[in-house]
Amino acid sequence: MPKTLLKAVSGAVVLGALLALPRYVESPYALHMMILLFLSVSQGQSWNILGGYAGQHSVGHAAYFGVGAYTTMMLMHTWQIAPWFGVWFGMALVVVVALAIGSICFRLRGPYFVLASIAVAEILRLSAINLTTLTNGAEGILATDLPAFRIGGRVVTEFLTKVPFYYIGLVLALLTLAITYWVQHSKLGYFLQAIREDQDAAHSLGISISRYKNIALVISAVLTSLAGSFYGIYVGFVDPPTVLGLDVSVQIMLICIIGGMGTLWGPVLGALVLVPLSEALRSNLITEALVQVGLVSAESRVGLFLKENLAHAHVLLYGILVVLVILFMPEGLMGFVRKLASRRKREA
Amino acid sequence: MAILEIKHVSKFFGGLAANSDVSFEVEEGAIMGLIGPNGAGKTTLFNCITGYYPPSKGEIFFKGRRMNGLEPDRVCRLGMVRTWQKVRPLAKLSVVDNVMVGALARTSSLRIARERAMAQLEVVHLAHRAEALAGGLPIGERKKLEVARALATEPQLLLLDEVMGGLNPAESEEIIQLILDIKGRGLTQMVIEHDMKAIMRISDRIVVLNSGEKLTEGSPQEVVTNPDVISAYLGESHA
Repeated sequence: MPKTLLKAVSGAVVLGALLALPRYVESPYALHMMILLFLSVSQGQSWNILGGYAGQHSVGHAAYFGVGAYTTMMLMHTWQIAPWFGVWFGMALVVVVALAIGSICFRLRGPYFVLASIAVAEILRLSAINLTTLTNGAEGILATDLPAFRIGGRVVTEFLTKVPFYYIGLVLALLTLAITYWVQHSKLGYFLQAIREDQDAAHSLGISISRYKNIALVISAVLTSLAGSFYGIYVGFVDPPTVLGLDVSVQIMLICIIGGMGTLWGPVLGALVLVPLSEALRSNLITEALVQVGLVSAESRVGLFLKENLAHAHVLLYGILVVLVILFMPEGLMGFVRKLASRRKREA
Repeated sequence: MAILEIKHVSKFFGGLAANSDVSFEVEEGAIMGLIGPNGAGKTTLFNCITGYYPPSKGEIFFKGRRMNGLEPDRVCRLGMVRTWQKVRPLAKLSVVDNVMVGALARTSSLRIARERAMAQLEVVHLAHRAEALAGGLPIGERKKLEVARALATEPQLLLLDEVMGGLNPAESEEIIQLILDIKGRGLTQMVIEHDMKAIMRISDRIVVLNSGEKLTEGSPQEVVTNPDVISAYLGESHA
């Protein structure tokens, strides 16, 4: 009992701190990082339901992210439909796309499913580039003028700062977390894990494989499309590579794989590691830190070399890290944490 | 009354007839033994009956209902479930969670499913391992888990595919007792087994398959004294 109490109290403290944060932190950069974190948590958590629990490793989640982002942005840009109405169209469209993809791809297993999921996302990316009348092609859609959000005539927010986006992101992250919790503690979660562990055995135990795979896919896709819509209105710009590219799919998947697939907190851990890491690599914080500590002199050859090249090498370093995690922590950070915990328990 | 009727079932893989024109009936409440040399088509027949392969020819009736073309999950929910010769534990789930997956075929409540799963684990004497990971069980316990998980789906007909394969004599004896217990509860069973002594003890009737065809059918006594059966197993010179 004290353990659950401890969990409840720490959960309430973290939630309280997250709710209060924008009151005390005004730095737009800090808020931006938090928003990226929330976005990553919701992306990773959405993928987790299909990839982690049901074991269907989609490398095409950019399809759902992109369709959500594009639909909301196109509706806002072309017909001035406010995004809080637009997202529903995005989600509805994604359900159609997901069921179409599911009916084709779920006939395939293992690597064939992975290849098919990549192919579908690439088809959508190429369509977005070439259907210029609809999507504005490679130029993308710029729509930064958000209408004020009103409830009953009263203006709630005009989206002038990052604070409203912070709260929307927080709600999105909590929503995906809550849905994952529900999945884990329901018949659905048991069936998805049975399919992941052994599809034929699951089939013999009365589980309709195609039905439950499609349910997992639709939940996963709809949540990913929500995240996509949020990304679109937050950044104010979408184009094919940033929301439909293969690297978007990989990014979404990595959050979950590095954090720990099929666990509630895995994607949260994954986002906590990957978001700061990619930011540090991108903005060359690492070179600065090395110089600050005095390990490397800024004027020395090494210092200049790092300054010149480390920022460009961030994708490379990122890739190396991913390889290391997959080699040495095959169950992700959550698996590593659990192993440590069980070792401590044994020693006690 | 026959709970399962196999009528002229054939299964072809390309030119190979894994089953050809097999017919027999399984009486309700009985144990039907299914024996035959390796490659006789026993497991293929199980796969046809439980919906993994559609039969190429012939018909299968369960409780009077035509089963051809039904998916395995439908077959299970209609009351017919199989275990696997090569056991298929859900490795990363605990033992009780494995059995719960079976129980959830009949209820949506996790609480009820858990109670029923624990009850089935008691039946197979595996309750003390409930929280262990299924992937870490030794073979004897994996076989019991297969049976408990199948029982949890509340079947009327249980198809056991070599549940004694790879077990030591003490473990086999335990499974034999388990099968007889299950019979005592009124469940019909069809059992594939290589251990002749065991199959003779538990079966009410035995069907012998050889090269995909039904060689003979009868009581254990009739089957074991049949010269065709002896020659199928040991070669012509022994018949």
